[in-house]
Amino acid sequence: MNNVIKIMIYTMRDQMRHKSVYVLLGLSIIFILMIRGCYDSGYTVNGKTVDTAMVAWHVSKIVFHTIAAGMFLMVSMLSMKIFSRDRTDGNEVLFLARSVSRWQYILGRVTGTWALSLIFMFLLHLTIFVTVWVKTGTIISGYLTASLVCSINLLFVIACVCFLSLFMPDFISAFFTMGILIVGFISDGGHQIINSDIVRSAIPASTNGGPALWRILYPKVFMLQAYADAIISDSEFHIMGPFHPLLNLSFYILLIMLLMLGFYNRKEI
Amino acid sequence: MIILDSVTKKFGAFTAVDNVSYTIKKGEFFALLGPNGAGKTTIVRMLLDFIKPSSGSITINGQPASDPASRNYVGYIAEQHMIPPYLSGFEFLSRHASLIGLSGKDAEKEVYRVLEIVAMKGPERKKSATYSRGMKQRIGLGAALLGKPTVLILDEPITGLDPIGIRDVRKILENLSGKGVTVILNSHLLSEVEKTCETAAIIYKGKILIKDNITAIVKDHETLEDVFIRYIEHENE
Repeated sequence: MNNVIKIMIYTMRDQMRHKSVYVLLGLSIIFILMIRGCYDSGYTVNGKTVDTAMVAWHVSKIVFHTIAAGMFLMVSMLSMKIFSRDRTDGNEVLFLARSVSRWQYILGRVTGTWALSLIFMFLLHLTIFVTVWVKTGTIISGYLTASLVCSINLLFVIACVCFLSLFMPDFISAFFTMGILIVGFISDGGHQIINSDIVRSAIPASTNGGPALWRILYPKVFMLQAYADAIISDSEFHIMGPFHPLLNLSFYILLIMLLMLGFYNRKEI
Repeated sequence: MIILDSVTKKFGAFTAVDNVSYTIKKGEFFALLGPNGAGKTTIVRMLLDFIKPSSGSITINGQPASDPASRNYVGYIAEQHMIPPYLSGFEFLSRHASLIGLSGKDAEKEVYRVLEIVAMKGPERKKSATYSRGMKQRIGLGAALLGKPTVLILDEPITGLDPIGIRDVRKILENLSGKGVTVILNSHLLSEVEKTCETAAIIYKGKILIKDNITAIVKDHETLEDVFIRYIEHENE
């Protein structure tokens, strides 16, 4: 078996030994149990009965993004200590004293954490998908595809936190990455609002003038989330600039991984 | 065979290893001796590609040390061998076995073979967090012995071991003698080195002061310790 796959499997096992994974899993289960009631029928607004399927659809979209946001926090916590912990508990020497390349070690650690978080997030989204189906008989097409699309965001967060943790304290690297996400949220969120049907119909001039270059080139985590939303809603998606968020993030992930390898290759163990 | 050719390692302005060249032949038991900070561990770290030489080259069995393939048949134990606290000795060794290409029954058989050698059969399923330092060293030595390595790099392997442990390590090394295994031993315990190694080099301030057969280095009525102190004191004068 390839060394990357071996390290990936060890990473998943190692991460699952941390209590924080189970705390978050527990919180997620409680969250899902709590929102289960939202899918029960019998909503009345201003004396009119609201379609249960419609409510379920809207709630599911909100929950979809809530789960994704929670996953950002979780993967930040899981990623920030990967390299520092490996250094202190002997895992780094375990791998690198054998015929394992540094790139294999890094790739194995990053993809292992990603695979675990991807499965975790997919299971949570799948639970919502099944709950809606069972409770209302509605199948939200695109819900699971959107979950897989969002997993690219998780990979970006993991790569970013791991890279920054090579030369920053663990918490700061997670904090810094969250900062990157928040700036993107404000920038891309604004763009999405301006391009929304409501704003465009109310203020047609709002579409005039393109966004600044930095906003076009900025990591498009929020835009990818919006793209996933568009997949669920089967609605139009407005990209900012010439690049699709998937392309934008793939570029950033590749760049970060290459930089990480470059830095790590020069690191003394 | 291990070849160090004009190897220098600098950390900023400080030269940890200064133009060191030597060859360790296949099957040779070689001891690297020197006081703390002499550059012994730096050499070991360069052999394992944990750090890169500032200049010069290192080859292990004909492959550059920078090539991960050079570590295919290298076993290594660090001075204070660390084992992830959540892993048992068995799990730790199984990971090593997997990384050297063993799997399934073969891996398990090999793990139990070395557990027997290092006398760790019994507590092997307990978490390493419960192990004493000596037990961790034994497991570390077991990891180094997995897969019948052709090169063993032992950086202070008897640190933390009790007298029985020290004797066991000596016996393990004696058993490897004549089997074509090249051993590099870093140790402060000169009496042990004298018992196990054929050749030794004394390193001080990054420079090799002498490298020869121990029988040639140690003159009549002297011990290796006497020779070591004589050389270091001479350098300090």
